[in-house]
Amino acid sequence: MTQPVSSHATSTDLLVLHTLRCIGFSGLSAVAGATGLSESDVESELIDLAVAGLVTRTAGDFGGWGLTDAGRATDAERIAEEVATAGVRPVLTSAFDRFLVLNPELLDLCTAWQTRTVNGAMAMNDHSDSSYDARVLDRFTEFHQRAEPLCTELSAALLRFHRYPVRLADALARARSGALEYLTDSTASYHTVWFQLHEDLLATLGIPRH
Amino acid sequence: MTWIHPLSAEVEETVDVLGGKAHGLIVLRRLGLPVPPGFVIGTEACRAYLRTGRLPHGLTAELAAAVAELESVTDRQLGGSERPLAVSVRSGGKVSMPGMMSTVLNLGLTSGATAALADEMGDPRFALDSRLRFLTSFASQVVGVGQESLASVDRAIAGRDGDPGAFETAIREVERLIRERSGEPVPEEAARQLELAVEAVFSSWDTPRARTYRALHDIPGDLGTAVTVQAMVFGNRDEHSGTGVAFSRDPNTGEHVPFGEVLFGRQGEDVVSGTSLTGPLRELADREPAVWARLLTALDQLEEHYRDACYVEFTFEAGELFILQVRPGRFVGRAAVRVAVDLAEAGTIGRDEALLRVSPQHLAQVRTPRITAVDPRNVFTRGLGASPGVAVGRVATTADSAARMAAGGPVVLLRPETSPLDMHGLAAATGVVTARGGPTSHAAVVARAMGKPAVVGATGLTVDAADGCVRAGGRTLPEGTLIAVDGTGGEVVVGEPHVVAAATDPHLHQLLGWADDVASGADGDRDETERLSSAQAVLRGAGQGTPG
Repeated sequence: MTQPVSSHATSTDLLVLHTLRCIGFSGLSAVAGATGLSESDVESELIDLAVAGLVTRTAGDFGGWGLTDAGRATDAERIAEEVATAGVRPVLTSAFDRFLVLNPELLDLCTAWQTRTVNGAMAMNDHSDSSYDARVLDRFTEFHQRAEPLCTELSAALLRFHRYPVRLADALARARSGALEYLTDSTASYHTVWFQLHEDLLATLGIPRH
Repeated sequence: MTWIHPLSAEVEETVDVLGGKAHGLIVLRRLGLPVPPGFVIGTEACRAYLRTGRLPHGLTAELAAAVAELESVTDRQLGGSERPLAVSVRSGGKVSMPGMMSTVLNLGLTSGATAALADEMGDPRFALDSRLRFLTSFASQVVGVGQESLASVDRAIAGRDGDPGAFETAIREVERLIRERSGEPVPEEAARQLELAVEAVFSSWDTPRARTYRALHDIPGDLGTAVTVQAMVFGNRDEHSGTGVAFSRDPNTGEHVPFGEVLFGRQGEDVVSGTSLTGPLRELADREPAVWARLLTALDQLEEHYRDACYVEFTFEAGELFILQVRPGRFVGRAAVRVAVDLAEAGTIGRDEALLRVSPQHLAQVRTPRITAVDPRNVFTRGLGASPGVAVGRVATTADSAARMAAGGPVVLLRPETSPLDMHGLAAATGVVTARGGPTSHAAVVARAMGKPAVVGATGLTVDAADGCVRAGGRTLPEGTLIAVDGTGGEVVVGEPHVVAAATDPHLHQLLGWADDVASGADGDRDETERLSSAQAVLRGAGQGTPG
């Protein structure tokens, strides 16, 4: 199979809109972290998108930015256009097939990190057994090596995917240096980023969640 | 070398060679219970295959002989153009690795055999459905066609159930995917299909996911898997056919009543994958009383044999029951305690054995709060417990409404499945329920990360966000209804139920009384785990001291 020769860059407004579409209702820092843009750039784009009626901001404890119905429709349309223009649907579909092979394995790893089965009984992992935790962490590292080529291929098809390997590698590095919440628990954890990649692939290919 | 063993009562090879699944089938045979005829390729053949990358010398000849024997027993011919035989090809190692390895079903349904099956049964729809099932499992397990490519075929025929034209279109599409992926068409020679399927099962031992699973669960990497080949039983044949799973006792409570799920007109993988709506096991009693009666007798016989609660997978074809898999209980938590106490009270096992059967880890789980004493009319739906604990709150059907309603008190979020778009709703909710997914779904991982009770795979649940309500079992609950969720047992209950932790469990009280008879402590401060552990230490010590 031939790799596409040039990468397609997404315009900043669509990048912010689509990122919010994939990560869900969020504050500025989460959108900035996911896009790699500064918070002030993100805020400026969000204000323009809000004026266009595509996003809206809710105040309060669980407040933040989210898409309107018009925003979801516009995103779906523009993302479909982007895929068509770049001619990358076959490459992305084949990459998504491989993502679906890796996905259950990553979920197994997250479950193994959170729970332990002892004598047939599932219990929450209390992280008192450091050798077990080290073994799971090593498996995450090994998994990541196999996920990287997939990420590279996605980024070669559409440049906007390049944030995922950066964020996944960052989460793993933090976990390896002792910030263990970066495997499954934090809002920038390996699982959270992977889950957003899953959503992005579904949204990009226009595949409905049943 | 004898690579292949028949599934017969006389076979004496160990579980190391036969794998757990085939070993259980031989137990069933010995008890005179109905098992589809077949044979098992032992784990040595898998190890040889993994070493050399080829089927070992002599296996092909043995396979041909075993197939000929199966053809003679069933009076059918694999891939034949008259009375065709179809087989299931299943993995099964010494230690179970659920969902990790390959299975190919309806194998032998070449296009000719499919036509013959349609003629024989007078039902083209059934034959084409079976052929499509074969092609789909062959494509994904043998050829490696991706899930999404196959799912798009499913989406294309969804809603055209029973239309032979739709099946034919889907069959051609899967055939095309196989050709595109492997460069070759699906073999029309059934024996070749079988060889490829056996190799695929062997290879599946070494997929990265299986290797990871073994590393995490301390399973040695060099065991290999056995392969069980059996005549197909068609749960999708007619309205008197179907499939299901059954426990001899309720795995949530340990109560001595049969428990499980049944699915009419379908094959077993539809139950396990959760793609179809199953009904409670009791439906069998009304719709197929003879199958129900046979199943109950089988569960009794199996309990007597294992002296423990049992789990079976079964299929019935045209009103005739077959058991496809059996294993002893492996109940956990409160259910494990109750089964051990009940069996001792019934005299099936001694009190000492009851004490040894419950592990201290099960007692730790008993301390997790659980919903008890629920009026069955208040059970809204059930799923799989994915994050332990009990949550009580009002129904919310979208993440936005969960976030909004949370300001006024606790909320339970119910969704078809979760996506990142639900995260703010999960953060606001006190508990979560999803209709789809298993204990390793994104929803389960997120709920555990947030420490919230979760039930997943509640297949009877429909979430209607547009109308702001949820439906299950003919009942509709509008947003705002108070419900409770048990993230261990998987119950979703209307209203605020009775919740207990360890101290009030009568069976636990009984068991710990026996433990104190064996090893009474000087002080009354010991917790449940310590009381059980010291009794077990005394019993194990006594066991080691006994000669013979």
